[in-house]
Amino acid sequence: MKKKLLSLFLASAMVISMAACGNNGVTTNNAPENTGADNEEVGDNSQETQEQEGTKPNAPSGQLVIGSTTDLKSDFLPGWSNDAQNQACYLLLFDQGYSTVQYTKEGEFVFNPTVVKSHEETENPDGSKTFTVTIQDGLTYNEGTPITAKDYVFQALLVSSPEMGAVDGFSSDGYIYVYEGYEEYNSGQTKNFKGVRLVDDMTYSVTVKADELPFHYDIYYAGLVPYPISVISPGCTVEDSEDGATITGEFTSDVLQETVNNPQTGYRYRPLVTAGPYQFESYDTTTKQGVLTVNPAFLGDYKGVKPLIEKIILKTVTSATSIDELRAGTVDLLSGVSGGTEINAGLDLVDEGIAQKAVYLRAGYGKIAFDCSVFPVDSVNVRQAISYIIDKDEFVRQYTGGYGKSVYSFYGLSQWEAIENADWIESELNHYDVDVEKAKSLLAEDGWTFNKDGEEYKDGDGTRYKRLEDGTLAPLTINWANTPNNPVSTLLSSVLPDAMTEIGMELNPTTIEFGVLTESIMHRTDVQYHMYNLATGFSSAHSPWYYFSMDDDRMGLYNQNWIKDEDLAKTSWAMKSIPYEDKEGWVEAWKEFIKTWNEKLPDIPLYSDQYHDFFTNKLKGYEPDGLWDWRYAIIDAYIQE
Amino acid sequence: MATVQYFVKRLFYIIIVFFFVSIIMFFIYKSVPGDPVRMMLGNNITNPQVYQQQYDSMRESLGLDKSLPIQYISWISKMLTGNFGFSIQYRQDVIRIVAAPLKNTVTLNLFSMFFVFLISIPLGILTGVKHNSVLDNTVQVGTIVGYSLPTFVIALLAIFLFAIVFPLFPISGVNTPGFTGTGMEKALDTLHHMFLPMLVMVLGGVGSVVRYVRAAMIDVLRMDYIRTARAKGLREQVVIYVHAFRNALIPIVTIMTGWLISVFGGSVVIESIFLWNGIGKMMIDALNQRDFSVVLTMQMFYVVLTLAGNVIMDIGYCMVDPRVKLTN
Repeated sequence: MKKKLLSLFLASAMVISMAACGNNGVTTNNAPENTGADNEEVGDNSQETQEQEGTKPNAPSGQLVIGSTTDLKSDFLPGWSNDAQNQACYLLLFDQGYSTVQYTKEGEFVFNPTVVKSHEETENPDGSKTFTVTIQDGLTYNEGTPITAKDYVFQALLVSSPEMGAVDGFSSDGYIYVYEGYEEYNSGQTKNFKGVRLVDDMTYSVTVKADELPFHYDIYYAGLVPYPISVISPGCTVEDSEDGATITGEFTSDVLQETVNNPQTGYRYRPLVTAGPYQFESYDTTTKQGVLTVNPAFLGDYKGVKPLIEKIILKTVTSATSIDELRAGTVDLLSGVSGGTEINAGLDLVDEGIAQKAVYLRAGYGKIAFDCSVFPVDSVNVRQAISYIIDKDEFVRQYTGGYGKSVYSFYGLSQWEAIENADWIESELNHYDVDVEKAKSLLAEDGWTFNKDGEEYKDGDGTRYKRLEDGTLAPLTINWANTPNNPVSTLLSSVLPDAMTEIGMELNPTTIEFGVLTESIMHRTDVQYHMYNLATGFSSAHSPWYYFSMDDDRMGLYNQNWIKDEDLAKTSWAMKSIPYEDKEGWVEAWKEFIKTWNEKLPDIPLYSDQYHDFFTNKLKGYEPDGLWDWRYAIIDAYIQE
Repeated sequence: MATVQYFVKRLFYIIIVFFFVSIIMFFIYKSVPGDPVRMMLGNNITNPQVYQQQYDSMRESLGLDKSLPIQYISWISKMLTGNFGFSIQYRQDVIRIVAAPLKNTVTLNLFSMFFVFLISIPLGILTGVKHNSVLDNTVQVGTIVGYSLPTFVIALLAIFLFAIVFPLFPISGVNTPGFTGTGMEKALDTLHHMFLPMLVMVLGGVGSVVRYVRAAMIDVLRMDYIRTARAKGLREQVVIYVHAFRNALIPIVTIMTGWLISVFGGSVVIESIFLWNGIGKMMIDALNQRDFSVVLTMQMFYVVLTLAGNVIMDIGYCMVDPRVKLTN
């Protein structure tokens, strides 16, 4: 008996001792359990907070822990990571700061008045276009060093230089290649970048190549971001000549390898001199948590607004426990929550008064993507027939738990064009509501009129066949590649086979890993699939002409549908040349493209989520939307303890 | 002399196996479909020529434009000199990025292992000695439950109980976000975060070890020399701990060696659920991203550990059983 008691005591002692040695540092609360679900505002594109907003503080205060299901890596300088958390840091440390062109909450690109004193656009006789930008006096980095035009020119020269290209792992993903002389400078043929000029200490100019123009968002090309030359290339400077700007001094890959890529001190890992609204504080490789603090020298964003949240901490969460983390107070903000289960759990917190919410529609959608280069889905009739047998509204209801909407063409519900033309979308676009008879007639029109014996197809004959030019019969079989552990695949698997059988179509599903699926989309393996499960997201500089171009070198990577359709290419290409100021013209061209896409149907849009941001009650003034997510919205927000 | 010969032979064996396994591993991973460079570059570059240029340049700098045999020779020769390659996911040398997760994994595993053996050896001896008693039956049922329940179920239950219903421990992570404090305070904070993943590992691990120890003890306690020891009038504790347990150690050494090797291997499930930044999670992420340098480095590390572990196991047998000799 004594031994039993002893063993019990030892086990209990271990549990208690471990509990006792770890009771510091975590905020907890004893909130009651979740009760019920709340789904009253489906389809509502609104932001909502539960409590009245209080007075804004005069100075930055408080901290916000932001949870993301993506890990934060140790890269804080653009060019090394495409991950969402790192991209957020790039914005807060660089782009949302003294970039000369900024994206606004209203969905426009503007010259940033906090940074730009004056700007000029010159159309050159050779068709190129020069943007000349003069920056304001008094701009400084976070540690007080004045910012001049040299810092802006240095950024363009640095990221496109062969010296930087030779630094381990760097890849430039910007748009510097549109400037004249990029190829010569990037390849090392010239030391001067012809299209980038240092006009004077406070003025730079960039010249965009004629063959990149006209481009609807050409203002975007005028934007540069300051990089501190004295930190990244100590002892170097930027000089200008008729051949363009150049970096003089000891500007070599070896130096950059040390100043940028040194694991302990490199600018890539510790960008201590920056000009964004936030500055780098720390990154912990053990926990993968990053800390950013307010940049005290920041004069404001394009509206002159300075951040009021003193410290931002980026932390990884899992979707299984993220809402619990918010309840426990170990996370303050969860952005872009989707799916019924998680949203309902978050809404329970809102109902209990533990958290607030902001609701907005996604700038993108989940879809079935067709490979339009492959028989039989190279036929628009076949693609439309498949769309007619899927109940998209029911799919949205089941997949998103009611927190989503249907999309009918190549647009995101949070894009201003879609918002302003919601009525037109409803009335003019084909919704492809379920219509089995229509699907059958489309297939019959397309020649799918035979059974396997070559006789006329009748309902109940099984798979339809089509007689090809060589006289052989081809079955209407659709090879569908989907990814494992994907609820969209599961849901489609329960819907598609029976529906397809009903119209004489045979589904041949294969589950493959995403990496394999990507290779297949790129046609780097045998082309064997007709359709895939994918999702798409639209950027602020929405440029559909890249995705429906008929150029062979855009197939796969950009034109993932491999669709060579003249109407689609023409209508999307027409948008590219519309001047940025011509909103009316843009909307007309957009409508034409959207209508054409809706008919050609290279994808079947299945659902567009209604995203929910759940956040602590202490966060005020936080108003995100589909293209103005937390990375932007956080600048206007503040903490009220 | 025989012992020296034994070690030379084992060393030779280790080298041969190492190279053989390295060839198999390398070619298996390289044949996995998926293009690491495309995954690395993403699709932010809208100009196809610029994309292709960067793609080609990246492939060249990573040596992926060479034939597989040349890639193997380059990889193995670099690895033998301590250069474990370049991670395409982190865009850093592999040696730099594995240190922190490996440390986290080893810390968690060492703590777990300590408590697993602290609990399971006495419990195994006790249930072996008192087999078929109420205590034994209770422990048997308990260990079967712990042994057979999937880890993720135990993990989620532990989170629900100890982090949500009774918010005693954090749900996930290695440290409190933005933690500032002394080294000791940080260590305590880490221990606080480690408790739940460790509890899950201990609950899962105790079951198997208890049953091993119990079975070994029952076998040994049936031996004649135990009967002789008791007949000589030795105290029961001496019989159990000096005579029986020492002889029961051989199977226990086997599993302890296995555990020692596994100290360096992370649990994907536990590390993912508790967001414990460990090597298991890193390995699965690396596989998904086709980051073969990371995967191959860790795999070869485990190969070396396993081969060395076999030698350590043999030495362990010698230590616990003088009848065992290290000879050819």
